[in-house]
Amino acid sequence: MLLKAVVYAVLAYLLIPLVVIVLFSFNAEQSFSFPINGYSFRWYALIFQDPQLGQALVKSLMIATATAIVTLVLGTAASLAWLRLGRFGRSVLEILCITPIALPGLFLGVSLLVLAAQLGVRLSMVTIVVSHVVLSVPMLMIAMRARLALFDRTLEEASRDLGASQIGTFRRITLPLIAPTLISCAILSFALSFDEFVVTSFVAGTETTLPMYIWSMMRRTVTPLINSISTLALLFSVMIMAIGFVVGRFKRASALSDRASS
Amino acid sequence: MNRGISSETPLIEMSNGQKKFGLFQALTNIDLTINEGEIVTLLGPSGCGKTTLMRIIAGFEALSSGSLKIDGKDVAALPPEKRPVNMVFQRYALFPHLDVFDNVAYGLKVKGVAREERRSRVQAMLKTVQMESLAHRFIGELSGGQCQRVALARALVNGPRVLLLDEPLAALDLKIRQHMLAEMKRIQMETGATFVYVTHDQDEAMILSDRVVLIDRGRIVQVDKPQDMYFRPRTLFAAKFLGETNLFEGKAGASSDGQILLQTPDGPFDITAGAVPMGGAHTAVMSVRPEAMSFRRCASQDDHELEAEIDDVIFSGSRSFFHLVSRGGQKFRVQVQNLPGAELPGTGDMVHVCWRKDSAIILQP
Repeated sequence: MLLKAVVYAVLAYLLIPLVVIVLFSFNAEQSFSFPINGYSFRWYALIFQDPQLGQALVKSLMIATATAIVTLVLGTAASLAWLRLGRFGRSVLEILCITPIALPGLFLGVSLLVLAAQLGVRLSMVTIVVSHVVLSVPMLMIAMRARLALFDRTLEEASRDLGASQIGTFRRITLPLIAPTLISCAILSFALSFDEFVVTSFVAGTETTLPMYIWSMMRRTVTPLINSISTLALLFSVMIMAIGFVVGRFKRASALSDRASS
Repeated sequence: MNRGISSETPLIEMSNGQKKFGLFQALTNIDLTINEGEIVTLLGPSGCGKTTLMRIIAGFEALSSGSLKIDGKDVAALPPEKRPVNMVFQRYALFPHLDVFDNVAYGLKVKGVAREERRSRVQAMLKTVQMESLAHRFIGELSGGQCQRVALARALVNGPRVLLLDEPLAALDLKIRQHMLAEMKRIQMETGATFVYVTHDQDEAMILSDRVVLIDRGRIVQVDKPQDMYFRPRTLFAAKFLGETNLFEGKAGASSDGQILLQTPDGPFDITAGAVPMGGAHTAVMSVRPEAMSFRRCASQDDHELEAEIDDVIFSGSRSFFHLVSRGGQKFRVQVQNLPGAELPGTGDMVHVCWRKDSAIILQP
């Protein structure tokens, strides 16, 4: 009984803020007070009247996509290396990879900014992507570690034994087996990049991402527009995760039906 | 044992093979020839180097020095995928994202065998291992014994000259294990492949093999037919590792008629068979199998006899095991076949134990 109550309390703690935002995004009035006196889509309509907001959104999407792709490539390479390392090598690689997120974002932002200045790199979307990759690779390493620990390397040996080359083994055995892990990790790094604020604010230069734009709006006045933007962002994140899930399911189902017909 | 398919043509030849992992010497002076069509087991306790030896033949490890030839060709430079051998892995290593059919077809697909031929060869092989009806199951949906069959089929469908099996039955329970042993013998006869079988289980080795290669701490101790290995072990390790045996320690010396005379606390025993250098008195051990002993007075000059007290009796269905202590303080075991109505001595009885002289072997401790 008590256990159940605790579980519900934790769930409520996690979800109530989300519910509040979604609810107020449909509020007809400007105020943030209960009870809500009427519902409307006026805050959603306002989103489309703000061209700067649209630009910030497009930039955030581009940055998140680039981050996910770069992280995926680096992450695949890192995970293959990880599979081939001994216990000692694995811990060293983990410590090296995880250090960046153990640092406060503030320090990371400052150090990336200093580095860019030292190298004479102009701050732009590229520096934002680079800093997001620095943040998301460690996350990816953590997420991947548990699942890759279950990967059986004798499968690769079996494939070699049956006549496949090293590259053939990677394509036919290793990649299909680690692909679900990699895809979910790519989605995770997309989400991380999409709402990253602290580090971005240091390295963005004159660029404005969606979180930065929202923050600048909040500085002027707290407008219910924030609620509708957040709700859309939430919907978008849920959709991405759902797509990842459905694609995984669909691939398995089609694989099954292929075999049944052959 | 010889089913007429093994020939004298050497297929695998290793000479003076050495393997080091850093400072650890895993294999020492391995000289081994395996003939075409044979079933050879590499038998030894865990950590003795038998799996390393197999992985060297498969190409996953390289010899530190020495040479390895397969089918007359030196294979030192060949990667695993280029060797005419296939392996059945200890935990099967079946591909979890493929079904049974695609697992078995994998080797042929990789080698570019045409679709129609691939299909018929896979189906024939699935039939051999009696898995045709489960061809479209995924690996996660199979039992241990079924996985074993798929692993065998996946290796054999490629028509390897040599099939390497790394403790393939270790993960199965006893009943299925015995059944799979019989199955493997049948499949070996049907395919004619040479089987090299790694195990730490002496029963599997004796049931399956044409020849047993006994390995201890990285060295080959003895290579023999199972019967010879069991009845004529050449070392104490071999005698103890294969089956159960009683060991009587004493001082050995030559007797007048050229036999070895072993002086024990229970008196002298004269022995013909064994691997002990003649001449000079030295410590030696006589080995007698429990099933070679029986409760009776000696009938002839060809027997050894010992008086002993029964300490314990263990009944186990078809057989009974008697724990005895001799007058000289030697503990040993006697195994008796149980027959209905037979009267056997009980705990505390003094009995005469007798065995044929030629069932005793003398060994160096």
